Parts: sequence; C-alpha cells; structure tokens
Amino acid sequence: MLLSHLLADLQARGLLPPDQIRAIADDEQARPMSLHQELRAALYLGITLLTGGLGVLLYQHLDGIGFLVLLAVMALLMLASFGYAWLRRQPFTWGPNAPGSFVPDYALLLGCLLFLALETYCQAVFNLFGSRYGLATLLPAVLFLGLAYRLDHRGVLAMGLTALGTWVGVSVAPLSVFTTNALFTSRLGIAGVLLGLALTGAGLHAEFTRHKPHFAFTYISLGANVALLAATAVLFDYYPQPWLPKWAAVVLVLLLSAGLIWYARHAQSYLFLLMGVCYGYIALTYTFIKLLDSSSGDAGVLLSLYFMLSAGGVIILFMHSKEFLRRV
Amino acid sequence: MKMKAYPSAWALQEAMQTATTRWLRRHLLTDTQHQALQAAYKPDFYRPGLFSRIGLMLFTCVGVAGAAALLAMFGAVARLEDFRLLGWAVALGCLGAQEIFIRELRHYRSGTDSALLYISLSVLALLLADWVESLTPLSSRYSADFGSPYHTLVLLPLWGLLVLATLRYADRLVAAATYLVLLALLANWLLLFPMGRLLLPFALMLAAAGVHWLVRRLRQRPDYPYYRSCLLVLEVLTLATFYLAGNYYIVREGNAEISGLYLSEQIPLAPLFYLFTALIPLVYIVVGLRRPSRLWLLVGLAATAFSVFTLRYYRSVMPPELAAVLGGLFLLLLAVWAVRYLRPARHGLTSLADADQPTSFNLESLVVAQTAAVPAAPTPGFEFGGGQSGGAGASGTY
Repeated sequence: MLLSHLLADLQARGLLPPDQIRAIADDEQARPMSLHQELRAALYLGITLLTGGLGVLLYQHLDGIGFLVLLAVMALLMLASFGYAWLRRQPFTWGPNAPGSFVPDYALLLGCLLFLALETYCQAVFNLFGSRYGLATLLPAVLFLGLAYRLDHRGVLAMGLTALGTWVGVSVAPLSVFTTNALFTSRLGIAGVLLGLALTGAGLHAEFTRHKPHFAFTYISLGANVALLAATAVLFDYYPQPWLPKWAAVVLVLLLSAGLIWYARHAQSYLFLLMGVCYGYIALTYTFIKLLDSSSGDAGVLLSLYFMLSAGGVIILFMHSKEFLRRV
Repeated sequence: MKMKAYPSAWALQEAMQTATTRWLRRHLLTDTQHQALQAAYKPDFYRPGLFSRIGLMLFTCVGVAGAAALLAMFGAVARLEDFRLLGWAVALGCLGAQEIFIRELRHYRSGTDSALLYISLSVLALLLADWVESLTPLSSRYSADFGSPYHTLVLLPLWGLLVLATLRYADRLVAAATYLVLLALLANWLLLFPMGRLLLPFALMLAAAGVHWLVRRLRQRPDYPYYRSCLLVLEVLTLATFYLAGNYYIVREGNAEISGLYLSEQIPLAPLFYLFTALIPLVYIVVGLRRPSRLWLLVGLAATAFSVFTLRYYRSVMPPELAAVLGGLFLLLLAVWAVRYLRPARHGLTSLADADQPTSFNLESLVVAQTAAVPAAPTPGFEFGGGQSGGAGASGTY
C-alpha cells in the first residue's frame, strides 16, 4: 500500500529506471515476514512461566516424594540448559560475539532462572547456607557475572547485577534479606548510592578500556539509575540523613546527571540524555523551591515563571540534541 | 486554513528514508543511488527518536502547566476568575503555539506539537462537558448511567471535534479516541431502547467490521501516506474491539455492569459467545500467518491470551502453577520448533532477524533485570496468560 505510493513517486520523478522499480516491487512481494522478535518474546515468556510455575509447585510440595522428584527434574533441566549453552559457546573475546542462533542464549537464561529457584528453596528447606545470607546472594551474583562474561549474555549480566544489588542490601541490613529491599528506606540509601556509583564506574571502565564495551549500557543504565534514585529519594525523605545531607544529595544528583549527559554525548544515547535531564531537572527544581521565599506574594508567580521558562529551555535542549550528541 | 496541518511531503520523505535503507541492504539499490534518493527525499522536518519525543512531551506539559498557572494568577489580579475563560485561553494558546512549532520550527509529531494538541483537545472536551451540564436540567444532571440522551449531547460534538482534529493532524491517539467515542455514541444510543442491551455486542461487532472495511477502502486514497499511522492504529483497534465485543467475559461482566448487578449471571446466547471467544483469536492468527500480517498476528496472540484468561476466570481447568508450567513448556517448545522450522524461510515466514526491526538487545537486558526474579514465596494470585510470572520487581523479593 505504502510501497505503491513510494514507487509511484519514484517513477513520477524519474529517480529510478522502471525495471529497477519493478524489481523492488517484486522483492517486497516475495520478502518473507520475520517472526524473530515474536519468537524471542515467546521464548522469554515461556521461560518465565515455566520457572515461575515450577517454583510455586516446589513450594507447595515441601514434603513427601513429590518434592524430591520435582527437585530432581528441575536440577536436571538446569544442568541440561547450562550444558547446552556451554556446548554451543563461542570462543571468548572482549568484543561482542558473532551473531548466531539465539536459542542457546535463552537456554542459558532458563538455566540461571532455575538455579535461582533451586538455590532459594534449598536455602528455605535445607538451610543450605545457614545464617550466612550474604553467601546465599553472593553466589548467584558471582556465577551469573562469570557466565555473562564467558558466554557474552547481557540478560544474565543484568541478573548478576540484580543479585549483586541484593547482596549489598543484605550486608547493610541483613534482616531485610528476604523481605523487600526497599530503596526508599534510609538504611539502604547509602548502599544504593555506592553500588550505583560502582556499577557506573564498571560500565565506564568496560567502555573505555574496550573490555566488553557493549556491556556498558547495562552497567550504566542500572547503576546510574540506582544511584540517582537513591540520592533523589534522600531529597524527599522527611528525616535528614546523617550520611548524606540534602545539599550534598543535590550536588551528587547534579554531578551524576551532568556525567550522564556527558556520557550520552559520548555514546550517542538519547536514553541517557533523557535520564540525565530528568533527574537534573528534579534536583534543580528542588533547589529552586527551597531557595524560594514562600512567604512572599510573588512566590507563585516566580514558580510558574520558573516552570514555564525552564521547560522551554529543556525543550530547546532536546531540539538541539541531535547536534549536541554529534558534537563530541 | 488548510485541511492538513503538516505538508504531505513530510510523510513521504519519512517513509522513503526507511524504505531506501531497506532496499540498499537487500542489494536492490547501488550505493550512489541510495545516496541520491536520500538526498532527494531529505527530511526537512524535525522528528527525533522515541526517548527525545518522550522528553519533549514531558517538558511541554510542564511548560504549559507553568504558563496556565501564570495566566490564572494574572487573571486573579485582574479579577477575572473564570474557569471557562482560562480554559479557552489555554486551549487556543496551545493550538496557536502548535501552529508556530509546525510552521516555523518544522516539528512533525515531535512530542511537543502532539502534547500541545492533546492538551488543547482535552481542555476543549472539558469546556464542552461543562457547557452541556449547564444546559441540562438539575434533575437529570447526576444520572451517570449509560443510555441517557445527555451523553449524546456531549459525545456527538466531541466526536465531531475529534474527527476534524484527526483529519487535520492525522494523530494516532486522536484517531483512536475518535473511534472509541464513536463506539460510545453507538452504545449510548442503543441502550435507550429495551432491546438495545441484547443487540449491543452484535452492533459493536458490526460497527468494528464496518470501520475496518472503511479503513481498508481509505488505504486506496492518494493521501494514504499522510494518514498511514492513523489507519494502522484504527486497524488494530477495529480488530481488538471486534474480538472484545464478542468476548464472553466482556459481554457477561458488561451486562452485569449495565444492569447494576453485584454478581454477573449467565447471559442469553452464551454458546454463541463461547464460540466467538474461542474462534476469533484463532482466525486472527491464521490470517496473520497466511497473509502474512504482523498486525493480525499480534492482535490474535493478545486475543488468545485474553481468551485463556476468560476461560480460567469462569472455569478452573487446572491449578495456576501447573497451568503456568505446562503453558510455559508448550510456548518454549513451540518457539524452539518454529525457530528451526522457519530457517531460512517457509510459507513466506522466517525466524531470521529482519534488519528492519531495530535490534534491542540493550533494552532486553533491562526487561530481564525487571522481570527475571524468582518468587521467594508462593504468590496466591498467580495469573496465567497475562505474562506476569508472579515474581515482583527484580530489586524486590529474592
């Protein structure tokens, strides 16, 4: 439909010879539709459903023979997945792997998810690690990070970083291991900031020393987001933090946002530009409102003027983002 | 004033940019030809990528809010404290600003112009509702039930406004709203009659089919490139509403909602709706694979998920965790089989990556980080079919 319009326009303007236009039309007719993304989504959905369902089944059959059978089935499935992914591995490089079949990638993901499920339930039932909760969470982090680097898998890298986050949360507040790792409670705030900074640093290291530079996105997007979120949470926390006063949080958020915007220029990434601008805007607006003398009559006018003009400024920044990102 | 807000050449330029890149990759063009075509159809408009559009939309809303607050304060100083006056000022101001952004800064659905359009249309809709309310007698003002002529009084002019806006701006969201308001008008009119409730599902299905036919006819028009995205959205929506209007869950719960029942009861002609619920998704998927059409296929898959939900809502076939295991296993095996079977290509389908689709490895890793957490405790409300694995956010439960 659209194609006929395009080809008609090309013909009318005489930009291509007629037989080439015919060849293009034929090719577009014969071109098969790619189900690549749909199949990937189906694989991922199947994996999450399977492991989620198995986990719940395991919990429901905590006693009796069914439990052991399930455990054995899951362990075998995990070993099979890991084995398949390992057999189909490519030689190690510091760059991205050559594109191949994506089924081994998903087998690895399935194995990792099953490992997490098995480990959790072994801890819950057999008390495998005793009270050494740190070990229980550090183990998957180390395993996943190792697998991610060896088999070049960004999804497993993300899982490893998530596990690492849980481990850090654990060592700060050990009792909240198996409850929520709430970022907005103050005890985890400093850990969030530090972990986020560390991950961002790891991402920058990967990028600039060319050690798996394609991992940088995952490191920095997860790390910078955690650090910025934790520091921003401090701003809106009712109780002042002894370890991070509000002015320091503002400075930290502004510095990190500036860093993200700088990195966005380097990596030509609009996502990082958006993140940096949004967090920076929140910190700036917070400072403006704090500095504003709310008792004076002009405060409302100043505030609405501020929003109007600052939004206009940000829009102009975005409109020039193409040149901005290109000018490295 | 011209009918179309944006020059029609922009739509053609945008489509040609992606098409020529695809042809180059498939070796249908030489490098020099590709460069010549890229230059001949060089976009002279501004339409950034998704993330910039999100940012532009966000900050346009902030800016308009600031401007509106400023206006309200000046109004208060000048003793003009009328909500309607402010509304008109904001709506017309947004439309005017949008015109400037399009003409002078050459924005083409960049986020800023879309946001301005949405804001002004919503304010106009509010003003319209307010005006109709002032016309209605007090006694019927609070009858919020469907099937009152006063709703028609709001919906009909609103629909007219949206049709005009769609024709002029060819915006996807506005087109979708136009279609949904049309369906609401139809439903509202039917419910005025006692027979209407029985006919409602069939009337909605007929309306969806009719609009679908109309959309396919409109594709033949010479200005199709300008309205292409709108027509795609309408195609998805007509398929979705056709299915939903015949879906047993929607019909039964909708019937209960209209009748004001707390518990839904069996509906007349139930076997017919069972049939619709079971068959329509399959038809969509078959058409999607045979034609082939990604749009039909994806709507069909979503409809299948909703049909599974419908079945499980009324009949518990098996415990949810077992259903998740079996369903997950089935999906997994089906996908692995399809990957191998469709390599390199069969029946006009392939499992190989089409470079048309951007490789989104990076975003995929974020999806994994968000979803791939194993629940540390059994979750009772485990749902199958919705894609929720029962695991909470990755930062959470483990």
